[in-house]
Amino acid sequence: MRNSVNRPPTPDAAEDLGKEPMFQEIINIKLIESGEKERLMELLRERLIECGWKDEMKALCRAFIKKKGRNDVTVDDLVRVITPKGRASIPDYIKAELLQRIRAYLVQAAV
Amino acid sequence: MATKNLLYTNPKLCQHLADYKLRQGLSGYKSLQNCLKTTPNGRTSIYKWDTEIPRCCFCNGYQGRLFLCLICSSISCSSHALLHAQSEDGHDVVVDIERSELYCCLCSDQVYDPDFDKVVVSKNMMDMPNNTYTVDDGIRRSSKRRKVNSLMDLDFRKSKRLVSMRDRREKSCYPLGLRGLNNLGSTCFMNSVLQALLHAPPFRNYFLSGRHDRETCKKRSADRLCLACNIDVIFSAVYSGDRTPYSPAQVLYSWWQHSAKLNLASYEQQDAHEFFISVLDGIHEREGNGRTPTKDNGDCQCIAHRVFSGLLRSDVTCMACGSTSTTYDPCLDISLNMDTSNFSSIDVANKSVTPKENSGICTLSACLDLFSRPEKLGSDQKLYCQNCQEKQDSFKQMSISRLPLVLSLHIKRFEHSVVRRMARKIDWHLQFPFSLDMTSYLSSSIVRNRLGNRIFTFENNEADTSAEFEIFAVITHSGMLESGHYVTYLRLRNQWYKCDDAWITEVDEATVRASQCYMIFYAQKMLYYKANDGLSCMPLSPMRDPFFPIAGCC
Repeated sequence: MRNSVNRPPTPDAAEDLGKEPMFQEIINIKLIESGEKERLMELLRERLIECGWKDEMKALCRAFIKKKGRNDVTVDDLVRVITPKGRASIPDYIKAELLQRIRAYLVQAAV
Repeated sequence: MATKNLLYTNPKLCQHLADYKLRQGLSGYKSLQNCLKTTPNGRTSIYKWDTEIPRCCFCNGYQGRLFLCLICSSISCSSHALLHAQSEDGHDVVVDIERSELYCCLCSDQVYDPDFDKVVVSKNMMDMPNNTYTVDDGIRRSSKRRKVNSLMDLDFRKSKRLVSMRDRREKSCYPLGLRGLNNLGSTCFMNSVLQALLHAPPFRNYFLSGRHDRETCKKRSADRLCLACNIDVIFSAVYSGDRTPYSPAQVLYSWWQHSAKLNLASYEQQDAHEFFISVLDGIHEREGNGRTPTKDNGDCQCIAHRVFSGLLRSDVTCMACGSTSTTYDPCLDISLNMDTSNFSSIDVANKSVTPKENSGICTLSACLDLFSRPEKLGSDQKLYCQNCQEKQDSFKQMSISRLPLVLSLHIKRFEHSVVRRMARKIDWHLQFPFSLDMTSYLSSSIVRNRLGNRIFTFENNEADTSAEFEIFAVITHSGMLESGHYVTYLRLRNQWYKCDDAWITEVDEATVRASQCYMIFYAQKMLYYKANDGLSCMPLSPMRDPFFPIAGCC
């Protein structure tokens, strides 16, 4: 049995409905509704391609597929394998730029 | 269980998707189409929630991949998709909301259905005219990187419009690695050479397996991409599966920078052969320097030399005493003069040379014979003979000491005469074979023929490399000297393709044979068959690994 089939028990959805929406959620909702999130995602994609991050991830995927064999790999496997390395290897300047843009957006959205 | 994925065919539907289609047909896809919307960036996503953002029905999560069930429209996140399929019978197939891609919860994997793709793509096409289209990965750059001149920016805009007409997710039966190259302004000389390089087996395998590391390369040269890096970018783009024509602007710019030192760069049409040599030189400069700065080109380990470099042997024999002096020269290609012995007259008045009486056909083997024929050096070229201690009449004979992995033959069709201040193009048709045996042009054969059957030891172990070659690319030139056009014909899996800048078409053998070849590329037989699935005459061994050494499995 593969890992993707066995999942940890899920938290009961009913519990969460009662809670107040977290600050993070509100920001996220605002970003999506105004379409800003889509623009930020595009910018992020562009930056990650430029700095070679995407190619690195591609190489990781290829190496994993080569090891496991072409017919034994699912998309879920790949996501699981490259996510930790991917998150860790994002250059700081990209994080800084995105944070800056989100801040700027919130400032003008709060007005 | 991921679906078995042959290199050039659509993956088979998984059992669950097939069942879904049996029950529901295409109605689910069609109703989904109404919820699709294309963003300005070309992404088609599902948008059907006006008041709130989509959330997983199990955990209320809104982050990561969210999937919409095709049966009940409930939303689950990647952690709970399986749960949904398990709790509702038959609700196995879902759609990734952001990407409009099919996912099977029970297989835990992406699945593919051409009918679904059709629905998504047609929506994408319908929305296109309303969006400002941004071109794909290949030329997406931030403003600070865009250093190319305004002339090329104009062509970018033209090619953008061309690209927006095309189907980005075209399921084509063309093999992987076939992609048109946009003409950026008299750059067919570059496009034709690039197409040949993109399909030279060992060269391609090197770049596709990521052996040129752009990261370390950038770090070494303060963030500038070298020519090999740009070639690597092109490989990624061309083998990505995207069929829309690609603009090789970066390579052009990078090559300009390299050739500015040689005064080759200009906006005019360049010679494809010169460009070919120049590109290999540029790759060598970067790669070779890092590792073997002092070795001569014959032993250089850079990819350009490892693939294309052979060794020529020149024997100069004194006609008086018979002693021979031998020199070796590395070469990246062999330039051949066309054999004139079969033609009776030359029309000097016109700028082209046409056969008046075709008493024979000019063939490639005739040109190779001419190349390796002993040539008497003129009386003004008397060489000093060590044995006779004086200048003597001598003759010279060329032969090939070591064959490269990829043999590049250049047909000298352009004659430049500095004295007569004119240049002309030789339009004769040259007959060339698809399979070439170079044995008779090897030094061993040539020297033996000259001196009879004697046992000679040859320095380079010729038995190692095979002398049998298979053609894989032909660059043809049509038109006049100054205003001609280069086109490349590629042979992939026994099918010929014509690469005319952005347009790729299937053509038959006869067309290729009838074309006016300018550069012909042959790969060693074993390499050619390994790269092309060995369908024709090579017997397939039962233990053969179906996963070929090309990394493009996307």
